[in-house]
Amino acid sequence: MRDPSKLFRWTLLLASLLTIALLLIAAFRENFSAEWYRLQNDYRTLLHARATDSSGRELERNFRVELKQVSVPALGVVDRCVSCHNGIDDPRMTDVPVPHRVHSGDVLKNHPADRFGCTVCHQGQGAATNFHDAKAEDAFWDYPLLPRALTQATCLMCHDANYLASKAPGQVALLTEGARLYQEKSCASCHKIGGRGGTLGAALDNVGLKTKHQFILSNLRGSHTTWNWHLAHFRDPGAIVDGSQMKNPTVTEHEAQSLTAYMLSLRQRDVPESYLAPDKIEEKYRALNRLPLSGEQAYRQFCFACHGNGTYGRWDKTFRRFIPAIRGTVAAVADRQYLEAQISSGRPGTQMPAWNQQAGGLMPVEIQSLAEFLQAGAAAQGLRPAAAGTAPALPAGDATRGAGLFAQNCAGCHGPAGHAGMAPEISNPAFLSAASDGFIAATIRYGRRNTAMPAFQKPGATGLSDAEISDLIAFLRSLGPKSAPGVARSGGDSGRQRSSGGTP
Amino acid sequence: MAPQAQPTAEHATAMQEFLHNLRQLPRTLKDATFRVGRLPESEREESQATFHNLFLHIHSVRVHARTLAPTLTFGLGLISAASFLILCITGVLLMVYYKPSTALAYDSVKDIHFVVFTGRFMRNIHRWAAHIMVVTVFLHMARVFYTGSYKKPREFNWLVGLGLLVLTLALSFTGYLLPYDQLAYWAITIGSNIANSPRELTDAVGITQWFDPGGFQKQLLLGANYVGEDALIRFYILHVFVLPALLIILLGVHFWRIRKDGGLARPEDPMGGQAEWGGQMRRVFEPLATKTYGLMAVVKGKRPPVNRGPENTVMSWPHLLWAELAVLMLTVAITLALSLVSDAPLKELANPAVPENPAKAPWYFLGLQELVSYSAFMGGMMIPTITMAGLALIPFLDRRPGGEGLWFGTAGEKQVTRWSFFYGLAVAVGMLVFTVNFGWLRNWFPDIHQLWIIVINPGSVLVLLYAGGSLWVMKRRNSVRLAAVALFTCFLVGFTVLTYFASVHRGPNWQFYWWPSQWPVH
Repeated sequence: MRDPSKLFRWTLLLASLLTIALLLIAAFRENFSAEWYRLQNDYRTLLHARATDSSGRELERNFRVELKQVSVPALGVVDRCVSCHNGIDDPRMTDVPVPHRVHSGDVLKNHPADRFGCTVCHQGQGAATNFHDAKAEDAFWDYPLLPRALTQATCLMCHDANYLASKAPGQVALLTEGARLYQEKSCASCHKIGGRGGTLGAALDNVGLKTKHQFILSNLRGSHTTWNWHLAHFRDPGAIVDGSQMKNPTVTEHEAQSLTAYMLSLRQRDVPESYLAPDKIEEKYRALNRLPLSGEQAYRQFCFACHGNGTYGRWDKTFRRFIPAIRGTVAAVADRQYLEAQISSGRPGTQMPAWNQQAGGLMPVEIQSLAEFLQAGAAAQGLRPAAAGTAPALPAGDATRGAGLFAQNCAGCHGPAGHAGMAPEISNPAFLSAASDGFIAATIRYGRRNTAMPAFQKPGATGLSDAEISDLIAFLRSLGPKSAPGVARSGGDSGRQRSSGGTP
Repeated sequence: MAPQAQPTAEHATAMQEFLHNLRQLPRTLKDATFRVGRLPESEREESQATFHNLFLHIHSVRVHARTLAPTLTFGLGLISAASFLILCITGVLLMVYYKPSTALAYDSVKDIHFVVFTGRFMRNIHRWAAHIMVVTVFLHMARVFYTGSYKKPREFNWLVGLGLLVLTLALSFTGYLLPYDQLAYWAITIGSNIANSPRELTDAVGITQWFDPGGFQKQLLLGANYVGEDALIRFYILHVFVLPALLIILLGVHFWRIRKDGGLARPEDPMGGQAEWGGQMRRVFEPLATKTYGLMAVVKGKRPPVNRGPENTVMSWPHLLWAELAVLMLTVAITLALSLVSDAPLKELANPAVPENPAKAPWYFLGLQELVSYSAFMGGMMIPTITMAGLALIPFLDRRPGGEGLWFGTAGEKQVTRWSFFYGLAVAVGMLVFTVNFGWLRNWFPDIHQLWIIVINPGSVLVLLYAGGSLWVMKRRNSVRLAAVALFTCFLVGFTVLTYFASVHRGPNWQFYWWPSQWPVH
């Protein structure tokens, strides 16, 4: 009779044999196929070849083929890189291939591996025991191995860039150059670091520790790493971020590299105090007790990206907005308070951010210096502040007549009712509340040099009459916030009588 | 002087006796351990082998020959149990190195992967066995249903099986969090939000402030409002102790009831014919009317099958044992092979600031997640409740005997299964195509009250259409069993389609994509 369990016994036999085979494969893989296993055996051969003196022989004798790791609890580091990089602290290993070779430079002298680990500087996955996972570019790991040229970025966790630049300029060249370019290209006009900077772009405080998942990678070709993103983004921001408003300053490849290194160096990582170099502590102190910038320095860092040198007004294509010439007529006509108010509060509804201490991080004294710098710029072009006495007093205006005049003379650029078009939005409440009648009148009379705003009262009394100008002002006031007339408006020649803000 | 112990006749001295006993130690040890002491040689000894052994006595001494037919059960229940065994063993090994703390968990799993000897292999095995267990538990349920094996007297065991299904899912779900990587973190965030789903209803009615069962469920699960240390330790305790203990108890009941309910469900053996008896095929005798054949109440219900045809049984030892061992080793071999080829995933360290997009629940909850994307309350609460209640009620609503132990055993089952398969597929796919192309109420009436969407959404429509189809079958074919077949088939198809759809075709922001390769990387 047929054996009812024959099928099962055969299945059992085959499954058991298969299981044993699979276990053998696993055992082999576990014990002998590891990358570090082969490399350490190679290294032992190297040690043997170099064991010419007693210390060399002792090194060879003490060498064990086993997993090795550097554990630094203070930094949260367990790095197994030394399982393959066996020779990093052996000065004899200069003419051998990587990974056996000694660590380049004299970095390890001040940064011994057993106190610092490897990944603190190099990034990468220290827990890994094979190169692919340690490099971690395609592995699930937030901080893959930094390319050699960009490793300097991590120095700034414990060091001050300027100090390093003075001590070892060659080693942090990219970094120094990047920090300089950041100021030269006026990046802070749109980006904040440490609370200082504009708001148009992203704050960059911790950008070096961002992971690739925090970047939009859809348009990025090549490896999906943050540095590759930065490089491609510096070359052409719009190609990486759709609809990017970032100015596209032509940067060379070297500049892109330098800026990338600088970006990667921006890391807010809590490093134990004992690891901070004295120069870093001084840097932190300086950041807390900052010396104010001069007006020119501040202008260069925080204004230049949009306003250029400030003597020409221009139409900006990406912003789709007119950027005024702030070192031109306006600085001459307006008084200091008006300029400071504009800088402090910005122009809500436009790209111009507020720069006061809470917003853009500028100290009051820096804002004063900036305003001075703007006026000095105007003066340098021969533009003089309108003397209080020269302009005739304005008669009371009529908003209805003003509306007609506005439609004829102004709406073409400033848009109907003053809130559209290619010229600045003069119905903007921030403008209307800060600008005095005298300032507006002067602007209409004399125009703005080097911009599309002409002078509407030509010498020889052609163009608009004073009465018409005051009608226009009355109309503009009717567009503004319906504030009580008593609200103080800082602005030029405030001594003059303000025309009525009457509404039709 | 005390009298010396007399040496026996065999041993001249105590020293000789001692040496003799020492030599005999392996044999005597074996005799003492195994009560029979040697491999059974007769059927009587084989039966003793079964019921003299703590572990084997869960079997009856003889089982019906059909039990061993591979295509009756495909060994699915056994594979689930074997996977569970593998999971217990590898789980304990993983526990040796795993540290259930948010600061250490991820690093300990990395260590298991990279440096613990065979750690990576063990973790892979654990992962694969878990997947296999979830899949085979579902398939096992389908097998029991389509062979009508839940019918009297096996209703209770069907319920125990449902409990085991829930425990299996819960075990897998709790294990999902433990690596504390991005995958775990966001899958559990999604999963706990499904627990939070009653809040959609209470929000819509405006009573969340006073009555918030969703928030309570979520907090009970996580110990907080977010996934963190409290959630991790809860999940760990559930995963390594509470749930396995419950599962082992229920599994014991499940096995015990199989035996007490008379082994695997099977049709009555036909009368007459030949039967094997004493090693020969003999004609079966009609029972004598004057004689009583019911001897003992070994099994619940019927008497031993004396007058109902040939006694078509085989000894459990060794035949059933061979079968079980074969399935166990096959499961082990398959699991090992998968574990050598494919690593268990381990993404970046959990980072609450960087959400995974899309954040997807574990795969067996993806169907639910798809339904939750229409309405959290309906998808996360009502439909699972209705489904579980419906499954539990099957053996109590379909009480007509017939077809037990036969695939599609009653008339028309195959046909109804086939048509409900196509019906269920068409409805599920149609619903998905419609929703992806045309949206739903919120797209058409942006200001509509949320209650409308809770009541009328693709998920509830799907359930209604399935229930309607089943009722139509009941009316048309005049059979509760066929209606159950229709509904169960629709449930399986719907579950599969939704799970597939949500795994493959849902991308960032739960948008539709043909393939994951088209997702905007970010």
